[in-house]
Amino acid sequence: MFEVPWSEYSTDLWEGLLKTVSYTVAGFAGAALLGLAVALLRLSTLKALRIPALIYTELFKNVPLLAVIFLTYFGLGSVGLKLDAFQAGTLSLVLFYAAYLSEIFRSAINGVHNGQQEAASALGLGKLSTFRKVVFPQAMRLALPGTNTMLVDLLKSTSLLVTISAAELMSQGRLITSATFRALEVYLVIAAIYFVLCYPLSQGLLWLERRIHAGVPLSPTRRRRLRAARELLEVPA
Amino acid sequence: MTEVLAQHDVLTISGLSKSFHGRLVLDDVSLAVRQATITAIIGSSGGGKTTLLRCLNLLERPDSGTIAVDGAPIFADGAVCTDLPKLRRSVGMVFQRFNLFPHLTAIENVMLAPLDAGVPEQEALERAVTLLRRVRLAHRATAYPEQMSGGEQQRVAIARALALRPSVLLFDEPTSSLDPESTGEVLLVMRELAATGITMVLVTHELAFAREVADHVVFVDAGKITEEGAPAQVLTNPRSPRTREFLTHFTREGGS
Ligand SMILES: Nc1ncnc2c1ncn2[C@@H]1O[C@H](COP(=O)(O)OP(=O)(O)O)[C@@H](O)[C@H]1O
Ligand SMILES: [Mg+2]
Repeated sequence: MFEVPWSEYSTDLWEGLLKTVSYTVAGFAGAALLGLAVALLRLSTLKALRIPALIYTELFKNVPLLAVIFLTYFGLGSVGLKLDAFQAGTLSLVLFYAAYLSEIFRSAINGVHNGQQEAASALGLGKLSTFRKVVFPQAMRLALPGTNTMLVDLLKSTSLLVTISAAELMSQGRLITSATFRALEVYLVIAAIYFVLCYPLSQGLLWLERRIHAGVPLSPTRRRRLRAARELLEVPA
Repeated sequence: MTEVLAQHDVLTISGLSKSFHGRLVLDDVSLAVRQATITAIIGSSGGGKTTLLRCLNLLERPDSGTIAVDGAPIFADGAVCTDLPKLRRSVGMVFQRFNLFPHLTAIENVMLAPLDAGVPEQEALERAVTLLRRVRLAHRATAYPEQMSGGEQQRVAIARALALRPSVLLFDEPTSSLDPESTGEVLLVMRELAATGITMVLVTHELAFAREVADHVVFVDAGKITEEGAPAQVLTNPRSPRTREFLTHFTREGGS
């Protein structure tokens, strides 16, 4: 059954894997930033900001990712806006996943109790500080499970980029298949690589969720602060 | 005489009115709070006590009237005339439902405002430790709010409100969501606080406590101050029939 000379293809697979990771990192970072911006626009008191954000979200939530990929790669190319596969692929992932992430972020921000903002303003925190130090960290905790699901989903969706020959794992698989005609063997190996990427990622994110939930401070500043507090508290009054 | 006393007022409120959806909730309220005194605001529910308190740090915007803190106007002619963060650093507030930041430990809750106001890390830390010791919670410094009892949370909230060394501390029914034991702990801390000479304005249903620590008792009913004076007078020999009615009602219901 195993007749593909894998040692000849190991560099191709490795490069495909790196490409898949690059798409995932770039796509997710962009989608998270754009998603947060869209979520904030949707929470604005100004209708002129809320409405376009709503249209954006509904548009990309109700169109298949593949259509977005074809539109950015072939569609934009046909009107003179030529993007290479990496640009078009990343842009598609960003646009598509930002719509979903904005929904998750919006409901997370809404889920932070009103009394929190009130307590923050009563302590003299300005709007920006209130968001940064009080609302955002709490919203992040609420958004974590949904966001993590989206990250793993995005990683798997990079395989759709095979349609624009994006040089990621699935594209490498297709090239190896056309050279060896061993579809079952090749795609089993490709599927296994996706699994090896996704399973530890989702388990790792669950572990992170549990740690945050248990109150383990993640930022070095907080760790340092709490250590200093413990040391100071050991000294009797 | 009034002129001289006015210099010692931490809070001066005059002609304060506020309505919600066309319904008058505060009706021409005037009140002075002198430095290092405890003012207790009592009255039946819905009378406007919380709204009055929330106007004092402008969490609520009055419609008209003037408010001055430490002699400087913060609200006049229907407009805010102060830097809000600066005002709120000098007017601390303790809420009925604590409103601690659940993502931060007790000590981080206390340090948040000083750090935001630019107090250096080490100083903010030392200040927080001192305050937590003062509310007898040094041993809980690195606990999260959800790991603490209601009474402990409220004491952290008091430490948090004190961290910016405000000129006046506002309390809105600080014990009304607590069980009797926690209430006792919180009142003990407040009693000690009162003895340090801090200025406090306190909305409460703990009449025995008000009688014990307050210098001045204000009875608020339907958006108006219907009676104010020394605790012994207002709570024992009320002049206004509404106060008398409230007190009998309250005693009969076993409120305190
Ligand atoms: N944000 C608000 N919007 C509308 N009505 C309010 C608001 N806050 C308070 N009220 C109303 O104002 C009145 C006084 O409320 P409040 O100041 O909370 O009284 P108290 O604290 O004495 O119980 C109540 O009838 C209440 O329903
Ligand atoms: Mg109230």
